[in-house]
Parts: sequence; structure tokens; C-alpha cells
Amino acid sequence: MLFLLKMQNAAIQTHSLTRRFGELTAVDDVSFTVAPGQFFGFLGPNGAGKSTTIKMLTGLLEPTSGSIEILGQTFRASSLEVKRQIGVVPEGMALLGRLTAAEYLRFVGRMYGLDRETVNRRTEELLEFMQLANERKKLVTDFSHGMQKKLALAAAVIHGPKILFLDEPFEGVDAIAAGMLKAMLQGMIQRGATVFLTTHVLEIVERLCSHVAIISKGRLVANGSLEDLRAGVASTLPGEESSRKLTLEEIFLSIVGAGAEEPAQELSWLT
Amino acid sequence: MADLSALNSAGTEPAGGGLLGARTRAQCASLLRMRWQMQSHAFRTTQGAMEFGARLVSYLVYGAMGLGLGVGAGAVAYQLAAGNMWQFLPIEFWVVFFIWQMIPVALAAFQEQFDLSFVLRFPVSFSAFYALYLVFSLSDISTIVGGLCSLGILTGIAIVRPDLALWVVAALVAFGLFNLLLVRLILAWVDRWLAQRRTREIASVVFLLLLLSLQLFNPALYEHGRGGPRRMYWVMHHVQPYAETLITAQQWLPPGLAARAIGTAAKDQPVKALESLSVFGLYLLAVGGLLGVRIRADYRGEELSEAPSRKEKTVEKQGWLLNGSGPIAAVLEKELRTILRSMPLLYAIGAPLFMVLIFGSMLRNGGSTPSGHIFVLALPMCVGYALLGSSQLVYNNLGTEGYGIQLLFLSPTPVRRVMLAKNLFHGVLFLLVAVFAGVLAILRLGWPDGTMLLATAAWILFALPANLAVGNVLSIIMPHRTNLSRLKKQRVSASSALLSLFVQLILLGVGGTVFGIAIYLHKMWIAVPVFTVLAFGAIVVWMRILHNSDAMANSRRDKLISVLARAE
Repeated sequence: MLFLLKMQNAAIQTHSLTRRFGELTAVDDVSFTVAPGQFFGFLGPNGAGKSTTIKMLTGLLEPTSGSIEILGQTFRASSLEVKRQIGVVPEGMALLGRLTAAEYLRFVGRMYGLDRETVNRRTEELLEFMQLANERKKLVTDFSHGMQKKLALAAAVIHGPKILFLDEPFEGVDAIAAGMLKAMLQGMIQRGATVFLTTHVLEIVERLCSHVAIISKGRLVANGSLEDLRAGVASTLPGEESSRKLTLEEIFLSIVGAGAEEPAQELSWLT
Repeated sequence: MADLSALNSAGTEPAGGGLLGARTRAQCASLLRMRWQMQSHAFRTTQGAMEFGARLVSYLVYGAMGLGLGVGAGAVAYQLAAGNMWQFLPIEFWVVFFIWQMIPVALAAFQEQFDLSFVLRFPVSFSAFYALYLVFSLSDISTIVGGLCSLGILTGIAIVRPDLALWVVAALVAFGLFNLLLVRLILAWVDRWLAQRRTREIASVVFLLLLLSLQLFNPALYEHGRGGPRRMYWVMHHVQPYAETLITAQQWLPPGLAARAIGTAAKDQPVKALESLSVFGLYLLAVGGLLGVRIRADYRGEELSEAPSRKEKTVEKQGWLLNGSGPIAAVLEKELRTILRSMPLLYAIGAPLFMVLIFGSMLRNGGSTPSGHIFVLALPMCVGYALLGSSQLVYNNLGTEGYGIQLLFLSPTPVRRVMLAKNLFHGVLFLLVAVFAGVLAILRLGWPDGTMLLATAAWILFALPANLAVGNVLSIIMPHRTNLSRLKKQRVSASSALLSLFVQLILLGVGGTVFGIAIYLHKMWIAVPVFTVLAFGAIVVWMRILHNSDAMANSRRDKLISVLARAE
């Protein structure tokens, strides 16, 4: 089975992906591969280039140079067939505040070319699953942040994508809903979908992701399975420390936190 | 252990002092400085510089308009003072009052409404918040125009009667402040009412009643115009008692009171002048108080929306509004639902229609004199003006997307298909507004010549694709986010508004030229084939632009997303 998977095209592949904003290089020569069926965590401190990368991978931003392949096809903003295969929960969630949840899901379904019957059926199922069915008459603008996240996730999966890009999907979502969403995502992985996840919550990545890449100051500084990263960091530690099972937080801090500067002075006036 | 409480409050302005307190002044200055800094930073981008230029041009145009009206008001005031005709001064004050109050309604779609809700996170007292509200109102077009008119009145009277200058200044300051407060009061309360379904329904009923009442006046006026002097005598005989009551009553209303204060002072009756100013003071307190009630709600962070009552728990089967499963049907349905749920959009479309309804009769020759002949271009003028309301929607057709703009680039639907759907929707809306404006104009002015009707229809066929073509380009290169819930939180791009106005003027100019030539040649039918040819050209350009909209939008993805998908 594993052999067959390896024979398939990579789900996502980037080659020297670079994005500059004037003098600032937000993403610098980033290359990585995500295999089909992987739960891939993409981590980095604030301003490292995570959102810029995910925007390029989903067609929201044009790379300055480099290339992207999704499911074996070169991906550009005009690659409509590829877009049909991916689902995205972007940074701003892409919601339309003046529609109800059902109207929004039906709108998205139609935009992805689903037929009427399928759209109606999946809308109902997703509303039930996301526990939004009782909020049928409420406009999206009046939803809480967590409800909006759930709706954005429902919209991202309504067309049954093969790859799911999630930018901070659990932010503002309560523990019960988060557990439900995690189960849904794991179910998708088991059925062969690929999930590309960026989040600041390292525990979630540790629990869900099989592979992790870390970006810092626009450059990819680590990439591999969680075990590979753990072993790599452990090998740099002295004595008994190296045999301890490191948490992802420790790995992350070890890789990107080493260069963090101490505050120049204390804010003595702050109570 | 050191006492840190002293350390924490060190360096802060002392609280209190009300409207004129040190902290309020510091906060006002800070906000103005922030606005200035934002303006300075805008020069970093070409569009920012264009925006500044457009804003400058807008203010110059409005300033020139105000100056013209001010000179006119000054000339009238001069004549009245020179002729000692103080009994007519209220008429001038009422005219200025209506100009002052009507400008915000007429320019609602083009004027940026400031929003101060963001200052609530700071320690701003209510009085400071109120003061800021008034300070920011000073840059309103209505304030500029009204202020210049008031200055004209002051100059006109002071030239003839310098001894009255102080009385005139006092009356005009009160009059100006009243107008300033009333404009904000009306906008604030209309905004609040329109955000709630029940009050919106009441507003619709009031509008319909107004429409019907005006239609009841029309036949009477027509009859009176046709009936000759005998009929006129009959009408005057019946109207006179009401008119006299009205004249007496208006003396105790703000514009009448301001005029009365000046008139009585001119007749050496200072007690009566003071009495008028005192009553005026009561009006100021009342309007200021009512505005305060509304601002207080804003100050508390009240945000109204279209949310239905929490009691509505029954689950309705919500069907599809439009048949068809494709993206075009989806966008059409989304646009329809969005516009029906956004009062600011409906207001922007409806306000010009309202103005056509009210002021349509001015397009007769001889102004509002009922016996005047109908101005030959009244119909196209009414229709053209009414279409200004929907132009903001056409020229910024992505503005309503908000965060949803990301979906435009994430979904496998080409941008041109989305634009086509939007164009279809706006086209239908455009035609509906044109038909409605035409019907209103006909009701107010009577049935026009058949050829004129046909020519107007041909002009609309040209104006529609031309507007859509320009609108698609402007929507992609100069987008700005439309606030769908609040009138007073609109972000209007000055450059986009000016450009759209400029394009409208060109289209009206082309229409006017063709109509002018047709009138000159006494062959109105000529306008029909000319407009048809122009319409064909406009359709070709529109299709070409639509075809290129994918490339245009994709090359400006970053900007579209950064401008439209940001917090309101």
C-alpha cells in the first residue's frame, strides 16, 4: 500500500517558492513535498511566512518565483480543475456575512459546480454535523467566531476536496467542537485526503500531524516526520537530555527560538 | 515598596473638564493628527496620492458650489435688507435649511461617513465623544455649503445694515449649529431605524404615503394650471387660510426664528429678537439632546444588525431563490439576498428616486409654477439622475464581497463568469431603477412625447453597457469595501467616486449632445438610431472588458483581497 502511495504524484510539491513584497522577502526559496494522505503541519513564529505560503498554495497570491504542483499538475490562479480538488479555510474565512449558513453553503456548493440535489443534501448534513442547524435563520455576520470557523470548514469540504488547506482552523472553536473537527479531519485522512494545516497550537499538530515543516524568517528550517525532527533535535542535546522524548514545543523552540532576543529592558512602569 | 499607582497615572492628561477639558482637547488633537498622518502615509502609494487629489477636487467642486450658493444667498439678503423687506427673509432661511438638510440625502452614495466607534477602546468620556462627533461633522459637504450660504447672508445684510451684524451673527451661529446637529441627528436615527426590520417597514409605509400624497396634489395642480384665472382664484381662496396658518407657524420653527430674530432686531425690537433667539436655544437643546441619546447608544457600543429575533426558533425549509445550479445562478441569488438585507445599499439606490419624486416638478419651464410647460429633457434628466444611486453598486461591484472575495479566487469559477452574473444582476437593477424613475417623472410631469420616450429608452440601452464596462474596470482597479449594515460606516473611495461621477457626466454629456442636436434639428427621432449605434459600440467594449476580467482580477489579487477582506 505504501509503495502504491509513493508511486502516486505528490499531493503538494513546491520548488524554490519565493515571494517578495518590495524589499521584504516573505517566503524565500521554499521547497517541500506533501505525500497524498498525509496530515501535514506547517509551523512557524509570527511573521515567518506561513500565511503567505498557504496563500500561494491556494491561488490567493502569485509567487514571485518558483513553482507549485498540486496533485501532479502545475498550479496557477487560472488552474480551475486543480481548484476543484482543493478546499481552503483561509485566514479571513472567506464568509459572506449577509447570508445564512445554509445559503452560504449552497452558494459555495454551486460555485464548485455541484448539482442542486447534492448541494442541498450536503448542506443539511454539514449543518447538522457542525451543530449549526439550529442557527438556520441567523445571518453569518451574527455568528460567534467559533461558529464562523465551523461554517468556513463546512464550506471548505462541501465539494469533497482531495486536499484541505487549513489556516488556524481551531482558533476560537470550543473544546467540544474542536474534538469533533479533529475526528472529521482524521476520518478524511483515513479515506485518502491530504490535510495541510497551519496553527500556533502545537499540541494539535503533535496529536494530528504525521509530518511537520517549520518556517522561520521566510526560510524552511525543518521538514520531516515528527520522529525525524525529534531525533534531529535530540542529537544536539547533551547527555541524558538526548534520550528524553521531546515535545513538539521543545523541538519548535529549539529550532526557531534559539535566535530569539531577550527584551532590551524591563517595563518597570507596568504593574 | 514603592507606590506604583502614581507611576501609572504619570504623564496622562487630567480627566474631567467636559467638552472643553484638557483631555478632550488632547484626544481631539490626537485624532486629527492621526487623520493627518494617515493622509500623509497615503502618498506612499499612487492610489493614495490619487485619492488625495480626488478628495481635493471634490472639495473644490463642493466649495465652488457652496460659494455660488453663498453669493446668491448674499445677493438675496442684500436686496431684502436694502428694500427693508424683512418679511421675506424666512423664505431665504428655509431655502438654506432645505439645501443644508438635503445634501446628505442626495450625496449619500458619494460621501464618506465617518465612524468613531474605534475610539471607544480608549478612555474617551461621553462629552469628548460627542465633541469629536461634532468636530468631524465640520468637514461635511453640507456644513461647507450651508456655512458658505450663511456667510453670504451675513455679508449681504451687514453691507446694508452694519448695526445688525451682531444680531445676524448670533442668529446664524444658532442656525448653523442647529443644522449641523439636525443633519447628524437625521443620519444617526435613520441609520438606527433602517437597521431594524420593523422600523424599516414603517419607513417604507411613510415613503409610500408621501408618494401617494404628492400624487394627490398633482391632479389638483394640473387642473388649476388648465383652468385659467378663475380656477386659480378658487384654489387661492381655499388654500389661503392654510397658507396663513403655515406662515404663522413657521415663525416658531428654527429657520423662521432665525429670520424673525434678524427682522425684529432690524425694526428696533431687541426684546422680540432675544425672545426668538431664546426659543431657538430650546430647539438647540432638544436637537442636541436627541442626538445625544443616539450617540450615547453608540458610546455604549450598541451595534444593530439584521439579526432576527431570538424567539424565532421554527425551522423553515429555505428554498432556492433562483433556479439553476450553476455559478451564475448562485451569484445572482447571493447578490439579490445581499442587497435585500442591506439598508445602506437600498438607501443609496432609493435616495435619488426620492429626490426625483420631490423635485421632479422643478423641471417644468418656469420652475414649480404648475402652468409651466414640461421641460423637454425632463424625462432623461430624471432617469439619468436616478441612475446615479445604482452607479456606486455598478462601479464597485466587488465591494459587497468582504472576506468572501477570497472565495472568488479559491473556487474553480472563472472571475469573468462571476462578473457576468454581477453585471446581469446590476443590469436588471439599473433597468428597474430607470423604469421606476421614468414612471415617477411621468406621474409628476405628465406623459412625454412618444419619440422622447423611445429616445430615452435608446439612451438607457447605451448607458447600461457603458456603465457596466467602466464599472468592471473600476471595480477591479479601485475597489473599496462597502459596509452593508451601517450608513455611517461607509468607506467611499474619493477617487473612485469622482471617476464614476466623471464617467456619468460624460455619458450624460453624450446623451445631452445627441438630444441637443435632435432638438436643434427638430427631429427627435434622430436620437434613437444614434443611441442604438452607440449602444452597439458600448456592448462590444463591455464584452471585451468582461473577457479580460480574469487576467485583470488575477493580476490584482493581492490588492483586491487586502482592500476588501479586512475588518470593517
